[in-house]
Amino acid sequence: MNNKVIMWSVLFLILLGLYIMGEGMIFIEGARVKFAAILIVSITIYYYIDRARSGEEIYLRTIPGLKALEEAVGRATEMGKSVLFVPGISDLDQVETITGLNILGHVAEHTAKYEASLNVPVSKSIVMEAGRDICREAYLKAGRPDLYSDDMVHYLTDDQFAYAAGVNGIMIREKPAACFYLGKFYAESLILAETGNSIGAIQIAGTGSMAQIPFFVTACDYTLIGEEFFTASAYLSKKPELLGSIKGQDIVKLLVMATMVLTVVLNGLFQAGWISFDIIKLFIEY
Amino acid sequence: MLLKRQIPLMIVIGIGLLTLFGNFINNEAIRGFVDNDATQWFDIIASFAIFLGALNMLKLQLIKIIKKQKNWQYSILAVAGFAFAIFAGFFYRGANFITISGVQEGKIAIVSEIIAEEVDDTNPYDIETKIMSSQDEYEIDKLFMTEGNAKLFMKKLTPHAEGVSLKAKPWGAHVQTKGSLFYWMFINMITPLSATMFALLAFFVASASYRAFRIRNFEATLLLVAGIILMLGRVPIGNLIPWWAVSIMIMFGIGAIAAPFIKERTILLGIVGGGIFIFIVSGTLMGWNQTPPALLSIPIIQDWIFAFPAMAGSRALMIGIALGIVATSFRIIIGLDKSVLGG
Amino acid sequence: MEAIKKIFILLGSLDRRIIFLIVGLSVLIPLLKPDWVNLPIRPTPESQIVFDEINKLKEGDKILLSFEYGPSTKPEIHPMAIAILKHLYAKNIQVYGFALWPDGNFMSTEAFSEVSDDYDKIYGIDYVNLGYKPGQEAVIKGIASDIRTLYTVDLQGTPINDIPMMKDVINIEDFDFVFSLSAGFPGTKEWVQYACDPKNIPLSTGCTSIQVTDIMPYVENNQIRGILAGMPGAAEYESLVERELRKMGKPGKPGEASGMMAAQSIAHVVIVLFIIFGNISYYITRKKIRKG
Repeated sequence: MNNKVIMWSVLFLILLGLYIMGEGMIFIEGARVKFAAILIVSITIYYYIDRARSGEEIYLRTIPGLKALEEAVGRATEMGKSVLFVPGISDLDQVETITGLNILGHVAEHTAKYEASLNVPVSKSIVMEAGRDICREAYLKAGRPDLYSDDMVHYLTDDQFAYAAGVNGIMIREKPAACFYLGKFYAESLILAETGNSIGAIQIAGTGSMAQIPFFVTACDYTLIGEEFFTASAYLSKKPELLGSIKGQDIVKLLVMATMVLTVVLNGLFQAGWISFDIIKLFIEY
Repeated sequence: MLLKRQIPLMIVIGIGLLTLFGNFINNEAIRGFVDNDATQWFDIIASFAIFLGALNMLKLQLIKIIKKQKNWQYSILAVAGFAFAIFAGFFYRGANFITISGVQEGKIAIVSEIIAEEVDDTNPYDIETKIMSSQDEYEIDKLFMTEGNAKLFMKKLTPHAEGVSLKAKPWGAHVQTKGSLFYWMFINMITPLSATMFALLAFFVASASYRAFRIRNFEATLLLVAGIILMLGRVPIGNLIPWWAVSIMIMFGIGAIAAPFIKERTILLGIVGGGIFIFIVSGTLMGWNQTPPALLSIPIIQDWIFAFPAMAGSRALMIGIALGIVATSFRIIIGLDKSVLGG
Repeated sequence: MEAIKKIFILLGSLDRRIIFLIVGLSVLIPLLKPDWVNLPIRPTPESQIVFDEINKLKEGDKILLSFEYGPSTKPEIHPMAIAILKHLYAKNIQVYGFALWPDGNFMSTEAFSEVSDDYDKIYGIDYVNLGYKPGQEAVIKGIASDIRTLYTVDLQGTPINDIPMMKDVINIEDFDFVFSLSAGFPGTKEWVQYACDPKNIPLSTGCTSIQVTDIMPYVENNQIRGILAGMPGAAEYESLVERELRKMGKPGKPGEASGMMAAQSIAHVVIVLFIIFGNISYYITRKKIRKG
């Protein structure tokens, strides 16, 4: 068995043991399973990051939406129109907004390279500041700091539908050739996507808001569903460590599925009276 | 470089690890920080950051007006709306109210009638009871946006009560008190505008469904059938759809799903038509007109779709999204993903 | 036959604006003439559970009513708020209003002023409105541990220690029930995660139709007791409350949501018909292309 696997397993057992020993004194009681779960997830992801750093090739399937990012910016350049990027309506405390801004960095690099104009209307002031930093760095990285302007990333309003109205107005007046909706959205998602559809723009969307995914799938050309959106930044960067973390995330999903199947089977056997071990109790009481 | 990259990174890693593992530490101060202070710090920062956004918005709109850029007229509306909201929130309370005291015994009825007329209350007796039961002073249940209007009304009451005073709601409370200028603006401007934008969704859903719900392949057909059942089942009209109509829909649905596999159209038509005929005849003979089976009730099928396939799909997506959030947060906390810091 | 095919092909290539016009009329006409369409409202099991849970509460029990919606979702959720308040007031249950959204203040003020006078309820004794505090989940955590660390005054600026019904209320454990009127974040899920599930306080919710799939897993797990799903849920609850008020011999006005269900039903039927016509047109067009 791999030495690293043994090492990480031993580390897991030591940390869990320390937690159990310190329960009631340093650590709270009744959270062993949660702590163990966090350790397993963290160690699994870090193990694969480590493997990727050591040179292992990580295979990732093609995600059409991410492949189309550069094409969409190229299309906007050819048509002489702008690129619209909507990073959602939530603040920087939401992981989706951070993910959206990470992708903005990649889009900004492309717009700098192709000399297309970029318009990023935002709904929160902190997101505006973070977005400006990211775009500035992206344009610098692409060697075109002269093309960058602070007004590219501008604040509209905090109110959900006032923001949707503002973005719709930008779409109808400026008719961008490419629209990106990447972040956290609520009910305004369909309003934005349908308006983008009506102006003939190529649309790429991604969100972690489950209820909005069907609307984006219906109205957009490409949609990043579920974890595809969260892996986008790592996928686009092509850095081995980040790709390794995607593999780690997939392995964690595999472990979750295995746990679910095991729980169903063991609970079924317990309910039938064939075994006396109640796995549900393990999750609730510990 | 240290200030822009390393120090923010150390703050991110430190606070991230503290917030994550602070949930497990048996210490009041740490738990207090994790549960309350951490989110409140963010809210305080976000509140101050609003100035940045507002000033940016004003700057862009004013430049548009001054330079008379394309569609500069809309910018006037934007600036005017902004100014009006600031005025109503911070400079003009518009939340004046009147209190009365020392109403003479024989004059309570007259005063109640005057107040009832002003507040559009058809029952002055209620007001009379409240005046009599109030110990110090009685606050009239109406806000006046201007002092002038309030003083005009006070003139009507002054002959009948010893103490008639004009007061104003405290700053802050004036924003959500019914009758104030800000409240008027919220109810008469913001509410209809927000409701209008939300109502657009109805039209966009119609055009999106019309475009997207096509029988292109098996999955699209399944989406179409489930969508129609849910749309009809969620509303009362679903209860009125009889069992035989549902049978016809089911047979057409089966036909649509089987269509890519059965090349001979006459055979397909025969299966669908025959199925409908058998359904209706056997259903009539089995007395389904009086007691239709649950399977042929759209609302019940809809409940089942919601409770099982839709639930399973949404749970799976939820788990996937949650894992995505965990992995992204992990990368940020350990400092691997520095792109949010601009790198 | 050719003429029918031509009609369907025409229907399939209809301008969006005509579709919008027809959908608009299908909503407007039933709203203007509600007597033309009278549809029976059948309460779903989830709405019935909400009604039964609130009906189980006794006189003098305390309920925390949280307003997490704004003007855009007011047509869906405000009728629920009105129906819930009528039910609570009829049963003489003490109502404590909170808001996790700034807009929730306006919604709560409107709801309380619309219903309280009809039931002769006195502010401070039968109901109180503590209003909105910024902080999202931190507010819920604060309510779960100690309300007075967050709230020192109510919405009108009255110190809460001067409000009679706040006397014995320290934190969420002093409430017998929590009801969340939610249109998004923060909302029902946060109440489950940070307050009601850890402290074992029964929770029910009324939310927009779009949120139902997000919240149903919690309902299935019994972490949330029933759910009022969008406007149909509001109409169902209104019909249940009306029936109960009639049983109690108390006056009742018909609710708004029930009147709007006809409009929603007709609009859904129109959309379904357009989908069917669109598919028939798509099928005919594809057949023509294959032949040609």
